[in-house]
Amino acid sequence: MTQDLHTEKMVINMGPHHPSTHGVCRLILTLDGENVVECEPVIGYLHRSIEKICENRTYAQCIPLMDRFEYVTSMSCNWVFALATEKLTDLEIPERAEYLRVIMTELNRIASHLLCIGVTGLDLGALTPFLYTFRERELILDLFEMTCGQRLTYNYIRIGGVSQDIPDEFIPKCREFLDIFDEKVDDYEKVLTENPIWMARNKGIGVISKQQVYDFAISGPSARASGVDFDIRRDDPYSVYDRFDYTIPVFEGGDSYDRYRARVQEMRESAKIIGQALDQLPGGDIRAKVRAMFKPKAGEVYSRIENSRGEMGIYLLSDGGKKPVRVRARGASYNHLLIIPEIIKGLKIADLVAIFASLDVILPEIDR
Amino acid sequence: MVELVKEFASGIYNLLLGMVTTSKHLTRHAITIQYPKERWDIPARSRGMVVLLTDHETGKLNCTSCLLCEKACPSGAIDIEVFKDENKKRHLQGFVVDFHKCCLCGLCEESCNFAAIKMATTYEYPEWDKAKLIYDKDMLAKAGYDVPYEKPVRKKKASPPSKKAASPPAEIKANTAPTSESAPEPAPTPEPNAETTPANSPEAASPSPAPESKEEAKPIDTSETDKSAPTETDNSEDKN
Repeated sequence: MTQDLHTEKMVINMGPHHPSTHGVCRLILTLDGENVVECEPVIGYLHRSIEKICENRTYAQCIPLMDRFEYVTSMSCNWVFALATEKLTDLEIPERAEYLRVIMTELNRIASHLLCIGVTGLDLGALTPFLYTFRERELILDLFEMTCGQRLTYNYIRIGGVSQDIPDEFIPKCREFLDIFDEKVDDYEKVLTENPIWMARNKGIGVISKQQVYDFAISGPSARASGVDFDIRRDDPYSVYDRFDYTIPVFEGGDSYDRYRARVQEMRESAKIIGQALDQLPGGDIRAKVRAMFKPKAGEVYSRIENSRGEMGIYLLSDGGKKPVRVRARGASYNHLLIIPEIIKGLKIADLVAIFASLDVILPEIDR
Repeated sequence: MVELVKEFASGIYNLLLGMVTTSKHLTRHAITIQYPKERWDIPARSRGMVVLLTDHETGKLNCTSCLLCEKACPSGAIDIEVFKDENKKRHLQGFVVDFHKCCLCGLCEESCNFAAIKMATTYEYPEWDKAKLIYDKDMLAKAGYDVPYEKPVRKKKASPPSKKAASPPAEIKANTAPTSESAPEPAPTPEPNAETTPANSPEAASPSPAPESKEEAKPIDTSETDKSAPTETDNSEDKN
């Protein structure tokens, strides 16, 4: 009797338009019942060939394209490209511009983590924190719109500085936001962190070992959740990050739960950095003198910054002309997606959703 | 057993904590707004539709057709047509912004030295037809007619645009009441002889009035924009 009952493995597609694949990603799953035996990600649905288009644009025109490279943290994308060109030219950036860049990028990091935490909750069936985090994210986007005029594709950081100075009402509004923000993070933690359902869905799910972090070049909060104490802001400092006092949260578990906790802690630390930067904000110019037709020196450069997801880098090859010869962008999400087939084996489909959300994969960053 | 009870107790406690947190929000008022009925205030810097600005003193467009914005545009959305008369004076013939190419980056506004092009706060300009998103000079001028802007302080040489800017005092806000006789009134005076072009193709329509105004531009260059503006505007209005 029992010999007649045999099960077959089933191959199904998750995506490309699945709500919890955060973009357009297709996962080919081989299932044994509800357990995932194999998972093969298929990428490329969002390919817009940004790198190739950059080769036909001047350096200044590349920056709006970088907004689209990873649209959740456009400030970082703007910055990393500007940083690459500035490294090639040895440009001296005015101090005020550096501080404004730090403030904006840290605000953007908070906005990105809010999105990640809210959406993770949404994917796992907790609708409330999603509404809370988006409420606070709106406040940040208001600050951005007030400063640079857009809520998503900012195009704010330019070669040699920033595009516009902050308006007068920015600093009081930003402080107002920072004052309430800690309390709001407490609220999210009350709803999520110790919640038994949340813990059951996340604890011990998708454990990334320390060795896997090195093997797959995982970076950012996902790496720090696995006990790798590495942050480019501190270990390879750029801009004025060495002037602030902040800690980098490191957790040892490596599971979805620790990745969530790392993000929550990082938001608090970012808020601290913004507060200090507002205190220290100097006066003066916001943009170095850069010629309208900007031409860096010939050469190649790799610049990297700490994005909300991990290491974001731009490799730039210049022949001294007004257009780059080659632009290569590195996004952390690619490595984060490729580790999913490794850590998903034997888990259930529902766990795949939790892992995907907690790694904070953003598809446009992969496809470019 | 003790562990189990502890876990159970802390689970219940934390669930209740979450419930308390959410129930605190019961009495708060909503932060969302009902969009079409209510709107929020858009910051002045908000980047929306690209418009052309008018000098209300002379009633002419500020644009000097220097083509800087066309070169700055990363997506090639701006197309400018320039006409040079015998004195090598540049006259703006056509100015087309293709809004389904435009990525709203604001580089055109930044590149402009004459406060001629600006990103207004207008954000509601969707169309059912793709062709209607191609705006010609007069549609852009009409959209930007009331947009406030600051005049740039001009320093050096007297090229045709700076002549008109140098004579009036430096800062004129466009919000102030425009002088009635010189301003191109958008709405009235429909001209019957305006060419009747196929209804849904402004692309075809925008070059068609050009030869007509080209002839006028040669003798008196000041009247160029004044004359051509109302006709073309009405033309486009009929189409829409």
